[in-house]
Amino acid sequence: MSEKLDSDVAGLLADPSTVKVLVTVGEDGTPHAVIKQSLHLDAEGNLVYLELLESSRTNRNMVRSIWYNRRVAILLKGKQGESYQIKGTPVKAIVSGPVFQQHYTRIRYQLGDVDLAAVWVIEPEAVIDESYAVRKAQEESLHPHWLHLDRLAKQSI
Amino acid sequence: MAFALTSQPEGLSFKEVIEKYPQVPALVVLKIDVQRRGVHYTDRALSAVDESVHCLRGAALFGYRDGKLTPRPESLLLRDGTSIIVDPTPLEQDPYVVDLIDSRLVLTDNGKVLEEVEYWPKPAYYDKKTSSGIPMRYIATARPQRLNIFQPDFCRFWANDKGCLFCDIFNNFKQQRKELGIPVKIHPHDVSETIREALKEPGFFTNICLTSGSKTGGNQPFDEEVDYYVDLLQAIGENFRRRRFPSQLIATAFSEPQLQRLYESTGLMSYTADLEVLNEDLFNWICPGKAEWIGYKGWKERLFRAASIFGRGHVSTGIVGGVELARPQGFTSEDDALRSTLDEAEDLISHSVNVVYIVWYPRPNSFFHDQSNASLDYYVRLAKGLHELRVKYDLPIDYDDYRRCGNHPDTDLSRLL
Repeated sequence: MSEKLDSDVAGLLADPSTVKVLVTVGEDGTPHAVIKQSLHLDAEGNLVYLELLESSRTNRNMVRSIWYNRRVAILLKGKQGESYQIKGTPVKAIVSGPVFQQHYTRIRYQLGDVDLAAVWVIEPEAVIDESYAVRKAQEESLHPHWLHLDRLAKQSI
Repeated sequence: MAFALTSQPEGLSFKEVIEKYPQVPALVVLKIDVQRRGVHYTDRALSAVDESVHCLRGAALFGYRDGKLTPRPESLLLRDGTSIIVDPTPLEQDPYVVDLIDSRLVLTDNGKVLEEVEYWPKPAYYDKKTSSGIPMRYIATARPQRLNIFQPDFCRFWANDKGCLFCDIFNNFKQQRKELGIPVKIHPHDVSETIREALKEPGFFTNICLTSGSKTGGNQPFDEEVDYYVDLLQAIGENFRRRRFPSQLIATAFSEPQLQRLYESTGLMSYTADLEVLNEDLFNWICPGKAEWIGYKGWKERLFRAASIFGRGHVSTGIVGGVELARPQGFTSEDDALRSTLDEAEDLISHSVNVVYIVWYPRPNSFFHDQSNASLDYYVRLAKGLHELRVKYDLPIDYDDYRRCGNHPDTDLSRLL
């Protein structure tokens, strides 16, 4: 089920200073995390990243994901400490045509003599706010037993 | 004009095959089955064709399954970037149906939508002509990432009626020349101009593939063919900054001196000589011209020599998957056919000669026009078997993969290597 990303997450994706990490899974379940600053939103609300290397582990894991319906995760860390995780599924690998060529031309303009293996489209399915303050509040609300007692002790003891 | 059998052989259904081979991606199984059964484009699907952006079929080496040259979409792309190279097929042969539903181009079977597909993109050079006035789309045809210099030509094996029994190259050549006015011979300067124009489209092409019919003439047999390719490759090479450029030649199995000349005097990077069927007796029956001029063992020996010249991972042979089951001399059991084919493929691959297959479908203008191809289960096992041999011997197939060719289900699986 596709998840629409809210304006905070969309803003983080559009901000070049945001750290963007893509996590894929290998055949044996080993996770593989790499920084992918090309991650952005397309007009349909899907996540897009540009894979420059056909032989990269990420690219092969993405192929495995689209073939066997395996999810990937994207982590965003903003300059104000905001942190989100997006779960999604690769739904398309664009390897030719006008969209591919536009990205090919743009990335070469930005980075110089690089190639482009694929424009991967990832459909977001869930967004989790991973910032500590939000997660702490959630845990305290849902799991009131999970804390050390000294945190509750009167100051005089 | 005769057509192939009106129904496909009995066997496991698409769904059953997917369940039987969970390690083979459903998209690859679907591609195989679409190639096996062909496609029919509904009027709605054809209404979505935009000739300014989509690739319509131009010059082709082989004929359509329905025997017509009416321009229709060249082929299809799946959402994983895989090409399905497939022909329009008469409805009575039970093809998959490409339809336009809710503004989406989709592949359907019995009314059920299976996958969204796309038509192939058209390069800008298709609308241009060479300085000699030939439409460039007749010089080089475009796959999504590959340029094909496929000379629709007379294969000399047909001169004494010894063309390959699955092939329609000669009859298609005559039909195209008559109905489309496609040039009898393409000249190096036209090829060079076309390549130059194609290279102006950033990101469109990753590889150039050349092929044609066999040419037996010359001081030594096939010198004429080698000369032809040397001229073409040198003309193509004029357009590149470095000597070697990503390229594949699919040609006759040349002698060692011919292979040396080809490698040393051109920028060619990979070489393919198709055995077509991996069994000497069947080769002699199905490929009588190849058998007469070179022979099965001689063909293999030349491939081994080629691997030593072009290098490991740069030489291959193609087979017409399923033709080993052709009647009356082929295998009568798919299990026996598969075992024999993979045993022989292992011998080639262990000698650094890759083996790839295409899905055989009986072409209406070929000798085998009234036969039927193998089961989906067979083609999936063949893809899996060849892929596993490549893994076993760690033999890459970079120049003939999902992107640089797109016509081999077995090399689609190499995307995970």
